[in-house]
Amino acid sequence: MTALKPAVPSAATLHALSRFSYGWTPTLGREITKAGGFGRWFDAQLAAGSDDAFTRTSATWWTSVNASPAVLWRRHESEVEPLWQADANYQRWVLARRIHSPLQVREVMTELWEHHFHVTSEGSGTALFRADYGRQIRARALGRFADLLHTAITHPAMGVYLDNASSTAKAPNENLGRELLELHTVGVGAYTEADVKDSARILTGYRVDTWNTWKVSYDRDSHAVGRVRVLDFTDANSSTDGRPTTRRYLDHLARHPRTAEMVARKLATRFVVDAPPAALVRRLAGVYLAHDTAIVPVLRALLASPEFKAARGKKVRTPTDDVVATYRALGVRITRPRHDESAANAILWQCGSLGSQPFAWPRPDGLPDQASAWATAPRFLASLDAHYSMCGGWWPKKNATYRTPASWLPLTAKRRSVRFDQLVDHLSRTLTGRPAGRKLQRVARQATGCRPAERISRTHPLVKWNMHRLLTVFLDSPTHMSR
Amino acid sequence: MTAPHARSGHPASCAEFTALSRRGFLRTAALGGAALTTSAAFGTAVVETSYAAPRPASSVMVVLSMRGAVDGMSLVVPHGDPTYYTARPRIAIPASQLLVRDGFFGLHPAMTPLLPLWNSGRMAAVHATGLAVPNRSHFSAMEAVEDADPGSSARVGWLNRLIGRETPVHPLRAVQVGATVPPASLVGPVPSMALSSIDAVRLAGHDKWDTQHRRPGSMRTMWSGVAGPLGTAARTAFTAVDDFRPVQATSAAPGNGASYPKGDLSAALAAAARTIRGDVGAEVITIDHGDWDHHSGLGTLAWGSMQAMTKELAAALAAFFTDLGPAAAKVTVVTISEFGRRTRENASFGLDHGHGNAMLLLGAGVKGGYYGTWTPLRGTSDDDLAVTTDYRSVLAEVVTRRLGASAARVFPGFSPEPVGAVTSL
Repeated sequence: MTALKPAVPSAATLHALSRFSYGWTPTLGREITKAGGFGRWFDAQLAAGSDDAFTRTSATWWTSVNASPAVLWRRHESEVEPLWQADANYQRWVLARRIHSPLQVREVMTELWEHHFHVTSEGSGTALFRADYGRQIRARALGRFADLLHTAITHPAMGVYLDNASSTAKAPNENLGRELLELHTVGVGAYTEADVKDSARILTGYRVDTWNTWKVSYDRDSHAVGRVRVLDFTDANSSTDGRPTTRRYLDHLARHPRTAEMVARKLATRFVVDAPPAALVRRLAGVYLAHDTAIVPVLRALLASPEFKAARGKKVRTPTDDVVATYRALGVRITRPRHDESAANAILWQCGSLGSQPFAWPRPDGLPDQASAWATAPRFLASLDAHYSMCGGWWPKKNATYRTPASWLPLTAKRRSVRFDQLVDHLSRTLTGRPAGRKLQRVARQATGCRPAERISRTHPLVKWNMHRLLTVFLDSPTHMSR
Repeated sequence: MTAPHARSGHPASCAEFTALSRRGFLRTAALGGAALTTSAAFGTAVVETSYAAPRPASSVMVVLSMRGAVDGMSLVVPHGDPTYYTARPRIAIPASQLLVRDGFFGLHPAMTPLLPLWNSGRMAAVHATGLAVPNRSHFSAMEAVEDADPGSSARVGWLNRLIGRETPVHPLRAVQVGATVPPASLVGPVPSMALSSIDAVRLAGHDKWDTQHRRPGSMRTMWSGVAGPLGTAARTAFTAVDDFRPVQATSAAPGNGASYPKGDLSAALAAAARTIRGDVGAEVITIDHGDWDHHSGLGTLAWGSMQAMTKELAAALAAFFTDLGPAAAKVTVVTISEFGRRTRENASFGLDHGHGNAMLLLGAGVKGGYYGTWTPLRGTSDDDLAVTTDYRSVLAEVVTRRLGASAARVFPGFSPEPVGAVTSL
C-alpha cells in the first residue's frame, strides 16, 4: 500500500468485523468493498460452504490432522508422535486457519461451538479423535443446533473425555449425562439428580475400547433399558439399541426453551457483551425456536439488534484472538512448518504464554468469554511481550514472512519521505483500520522520540533501528486488545 | 517465551533519568503522566489508582483449590465407618495401610512426606465440610464456594472482600500463582495480581536500550484514563512490574535444600515461596490445582490417579514448607474444593459427584489433628457424606485468627461455628 491515507471502513463495519472475523487486515477491507458492504460480505461468508484452499492445504502440514485413530495410536505407541503432539498439531491447524482462512465467519463459529461442546486438548486419549471432532463441528457450525448436539454428544472424543465411553448399565458413569444437561443444553437449576441418572442411562452403549484397541462401537449389552424420564422427556427405552432413544432425547433437549436461552446467551456473550441484557437473550431465543434450532437466523437477528450496535469495543480479546489478530495486523504469512520453531508450530507456545492455548481449558465448561478472565495484569504484560517480539520479527521467525521495516512507509517514486505524524496515521489505518487520534499520536512520539514534522525516510534511524518500537504502539493499544 | 533483544538503539542515555531508581522514576511518571493526560490533551476523568508502596505481610494465607472436587474420603479415610468399605469394594483403602490412624480416621498412605508436619502438630484435617445445601455442578458450586456470599448477585469473591478491608489497596496483597485466570474468590473491585511465572512480570521493550524510559512512559500515557477492565489490568501491571522486583531479586533455587517433585503444583508452590520470601506484602496467595474430577480411574493404592496425585500433593507441600525456612512461621495453607464425591464407586473405578468433603490445614497457627462431626454413611446408590461443618467456619478461623480480619466482612450474613483447628499464636 503506497497510499498515504489508505481507506478505512465505517465504524459500524469495523465493529461487525471485529466480532465476526479474527481481526482487521487491508485485504479484508478490500473484500468488504468488493462485496458492497459488510451485509453482503456476511451473506457470501454464509453461502461459501466449508471448503477453502487454505484449509485444505494447511490440513496436510501435520500428519496427525488427517490420520485415523488407529494410526495415531500406533504412532503414539511407537514413540513417533505422542498423544500430546497430535493434540498440539490440531490446535496449530486451527490457529493457522484463523489467521489465513478466508472463511472467517465459519472459523469464528467453529470456535464458539468447540468451546460450547468443549473437549480438552490435554494429550490424553481424546487426542485420537480430536481433529475429527473439530471437523465435524466445523462442518455444522452454521447449521442447526440439534445436529451439532447429536454430533458432539455421540462422538467418541466426547465419550472418552466425559467417561461415557466406559459407562455401563450396571453402574452408569454420570459425567456426560450431567454435563449434557448443565453445560450443553438446559443449564444448572433446570434438572434434578434423578434427571442426571436417567440422562446417563440413556447415553449408555456408546463405547470406546479405551487404552486398548480404541475401537468405537455401540454395545447393546451395556445399554440400560427401561423407561426413562428427564425433565419433560419420557421414553419407553425398551430396545437394547438405545440410539433412537438418544436421538429423540437430544432432539428434545435441543428444542427445550432453556436450551434456546442457553444458546442465545452464548451467542450474545460472544458477539455482543459479557453480560448480555435479558431482553436480547429472550428475543434471540425466540428466533432460535421459531427456526427449529437453526443458527444463522439468530446471528442475523443479533447483528440487527440495537444492543449489538451499542457494544463497540466492549469485548476483551482472548489470548488466542490477540495472537491471531497480531499475525493478521502485521501481515505475517505463515507457511508449512519444517521445525519445532516454525511459526505454524511455535504459535501454540505464543498463545500459551498469554495464558491460553486453543481447547486447552482444563474444564468441560469451555473457555470463559468474559473480560474478568482475560483482562488481568499478567495477561496484559504477556500480550505486550508477544506484540513486541513479533513487531521486531524476532520470534517466531522460521517459515514465516514478515514485512521489512521500510515496507511500512507509504513511499513512492515521488514521495521519498513522510512526516512522522502522517506515518503514524498511515500505520494506524493499515494495522487497525482506523485513523490515528491525538492520543495515539502523542504515544507514538513518546515511544520513539520523533517530532510530528520530522521527515521519515528509508534511512531514518527510526526505520533502521526502532521500527518495532513504533509498530508495537498500535498493537499495545486498547483498540487492538479489544474487539 | 521471551523476545530476543533488539539491536542497539540510537539515543544517548540521559543522566537525570538513569540517576533515578526505576521505582522512583515510574512513580513520578505515573503521577506526572496522569496530570498531563487529563489537563492537556483529553479532559477525561482521572481513573488512575494511586497505589501506596507495599507493606510487609505479617501473616500469609495460601489457599490451595483442589479443582474438580477431590474425594475427601480417600485423603482422610473414615476407616471406622464400615459402609466406606462396603460401598467401595475395589477402591477403598485398607485400614492397615493408613497413616496416623486413630479410632476412626487415617490419612492416605501417599501422604508420608507430610508426617513431620502432622507429628509436630502443625497439620489438621476437618472432615464433613462443605456448602450447607448440596450443589453438584462443578461450576456453580465453585462459584458459590468462592463468592461465599449466598443470596447476593454481586460477583465479589471472599478473598476480594478480605484484601479490600483496609486502604490503601495494593495489587500485590493477593497473588494468584501458576495461572493467569483469577479464581472467583479473587474477582471483585479490589485489584489483585496473578503470575504465570516470576520472570513474566516485566514490561517488554523496557530494556537496556530504552535508556530514556520511553517504553514505560508511553505505555502509561496510552492506558491512563482508559476505563474498563483492560485499563485496570494495565495500571495494575505497571505497578506490579515495579513493586515485584524484590521477589525477582531472590534466588530462583528452592531454599534449605527443598526438593520439589515435578509438576505444575510444585512450580506454583515454589513461586509462592519466592513471593513470600521477597516480602512484597502478599498476605493471600491462591493456587489452583487439578484435575481431581475422578469419575474414572481414581484407582487403588497400586494404580490410578488418586494415589499419584496425592503423592505429588504431599511431596510438593512438604517441599514448600522446607523451602520457606524461617518464613514458614507466618504461612498457613488451607485447601478447598467445590464438593466431595459420592460414597459408592461407579463402573469406572471412579466416583461421581457428591457432597461433604475434607479440608486440610497446614502450617502457622494450626492445631494439629482430626476435626469434624461424622454422620454415618448409608451406602445407597446416591449416598453422600453429609456436611456438618460449613466450609466458611474453617476459613473464618484462618482469616480472623491469622489475618485479624472480621468474619462478618469476609463472609456476610454468616455466623461461624468454632472448629478449633487454628490458634492465633
